[in-house]
Amino acid sequence: MIYFYDGTQTSFLTAFLLAYGDADAVLTSGSMQLALGEETRFVKADPARAKKAEKRLLALDAGCMEDLSTLLRSGDCDRDMVAMNYMRRIAEQGGPVRNMLADDAVLAAVECMRRVSFEVHRFHGFLRFMESESGALYAPISPDNDIADLLLPHFRKRLPAYPFVIHDVRRKKAAVYDGVNTFVAPLERAEVVLSADETAWQALWKNYYRSVNIPSRERLKQMRGYMPVRYWKFMPEFRGE
Amino acid sequence: MISEEKLKILTESAKYDVSCSSSGSNRKNEGGTGNGYVAGCCHSFTPDGRCISLLKMLLSNDCIFRCKYCMSRADSDVPRVTATPEEVCELVMDFYKRNYIEGLFLSSAVHRSPDYAMEQLLVTVKKLRTEYHFHGYIHLKGIPHADEKLVREAALYADRMSYNIELPSEQSLKLLAPQKSKESLLLPMRQLQRERNIFKAEKRKGHFLPAGQTTQMIVGASPEPDGQILRLTQSLYRVTGLKRVYYSSYMPVVHDSLLPEVPAGERREHRLYQADWLLRFYGFSAEEIVEEDGNLSLELDPKCAWAMRNLHLFPIEVNRAPLEALLRVPGIGARSAYKILEARKYTKLDFSGLKKMRVVLKRARHFITAGGKFYGAEGEAIRGYLGAAEAKQNAVQLSLFSDRETVLSALTGEL
Repeated sequence: MIYFYDGTQTSFLTAFLLAYGDADAVLTSGSMQLALGEETRFVKADPARAKKAEKRLLALDAGCMEDLSTLLRSGDCDRDMVAMNYMRRIAEQGGPVRNMLADDAVLAAVECMRRVSFEVHRFHGFLRFMESESGALYAPISPDNDIADLLLPHFRKRLPAYPFVIHDVRRKKAAVYDGVNTFVAPLERAEVVLSADETAWQALWKNYYRSVNIPSRERLKQMRGYMPVRYWKFMPEFRGE
Repeated sequence: MISEEKLKILTESAKYDVSCSSSGSNRKNEGGTGNGYVAGCCHSFTPDGRCISLLKMLLSNDCIFRCKYCMSRADSDVPRVTATPEEVCELVMDFYKRNYIEGLFLSSAVHRSPDYAMEQLLVTVKKLRTEYHFHGYIHLKGIPHADEKLVREAALYADRMSYNIELPSEQSLKLLAPQKSKESLLLPMRQLQRERNIFKAEKRKGHFLPAGQTTQMIVGASPEPDGQILRLTQSLYRVTGLKRVYYSSYMPVVHDSLLPEVPAGERREHRLYQADWLLRFYGFSAEEIVEEDGNLSLELDPKCAWAMRNLHLFPIEVNRAPLEALLRVPGIGARSAYKILEARKYTKLDFSGLKKMRVVLKRARHFITAGGKFYGAEGEAIRGYLGAAEAKQNAVQLSLFSDRETVLSALTGEL
């Protein structure tokens, strides 16, 4: 049986409860090619059932809901099954499994979570704000995983005086700090009027970037290893004159 | 706004300083802009493969000292510029809020006098902290021979300070950096460390170098062997209490009859860093790694070389060996050792399990057994495998413009 769900945590937990007894269950929030005669079921989020599943799982592993939330943010196409197998292992084991690193299901989940949290760390560094006319900051990003809102606490602590918008252009959503509160909102396109000095600061940064390099020690492979090209798109130092 | 030309000159004179890390400080944002990031954070990478974490610049490149290896030395014919504290503060704030940088790495030439230069550095960081309310990371270079009061006050505002040892022995320092002396570098380091300990012990309010001190030395400009360098490093860690020692392999940016004309090999620098890691995280001592007048092997990394000298200790069983023994296995790093410790609580590990856990076995397999099984080579035969693993990483495509050495080594397969 294939269980389709909408990608939310509530709906995942509802589906998990339904699919738990079915050893051949496939859980997915994407689209997939169906085999002939394959049975399918579209699972609607049921908060009461989800709560029940959550309560049971939390009794076994107090940290498992955070793990689940991280797993469901992953951009990997197999994340639903990875999450399913991981939660199933917790249920079977009757306790936390995250340190059972020689277990396939656990290993897949741990690696998947590591990719998500590593990308959060990367964006703490690679995100670039531009200053708008009003003084608010705007940063477009296009991350592999759904992490825009996970970036909020870091930048809020750091820049409390500046309202900012972190725009995930791929998922068309924005993580916003309005100077008081943080929230997430859908955002298709943003029109940003830059402040008078913004272009000059970007030029100065490009100038710095060029000056600090040691050309006789070129190591492009190492550079791309640390900072894959897909992250360059919104960084001023890689945009032409 | 600081001019592009000025920033270019002040950056280019600072860029050979190796340290760029922004780790070790958990300074909170106390009603302003910025905070510390204990793990450190890289904001960009330049084509030379180095990370940009801090805005690394000099306050001035106008120097009265004549260190032979330095492009800013007094008798060198380069344009001289000096930035004002305001220019630097403004630059830091505007770069920081755009998330270009994690903080400031400020150094200076010995402008006018050591005290004047140190004072200008102090004025800048103090302004940044108290007028601009900046709580991000600040790494400040110490100026040798500056008044100790200035140094002490600077430590209240900086997260980390560093005096560059520059050269690994007193003789070389005399020869190549005549106005600097071992005392002018080591005394302030010891002073800061002593005061930092007192500050911590008395639990005083505020900060005193929360990220400690580091230093840097140039390798290959003078004749000291690796054994001597690593012993110095070890005493800097154990006695002086430094957080990091950086090595920069010598590059001829200026010409002088006292300096070598050829750059020191980057491989040597790499080996020194590997050995440095063994000292700090793997429980090795300098004496175990290399004899005092010897150099590190360029062919084998220092851990492999140590293991080859101590074959009687291997192989060890991954399911039983204590952490200290696992850390000494070539190819097993701190992360892998930790993973093994965790995973073996639940199941008996075999080679396929290790492989799944991404423990790299290329080198390790010669030194471990897993569930009693051994898949390595024996005795001296191991050396061939270890060497081969390394040589492959260094394979390069020949080009017309490769230097003679690379061509030869690629043709002969020898390093």
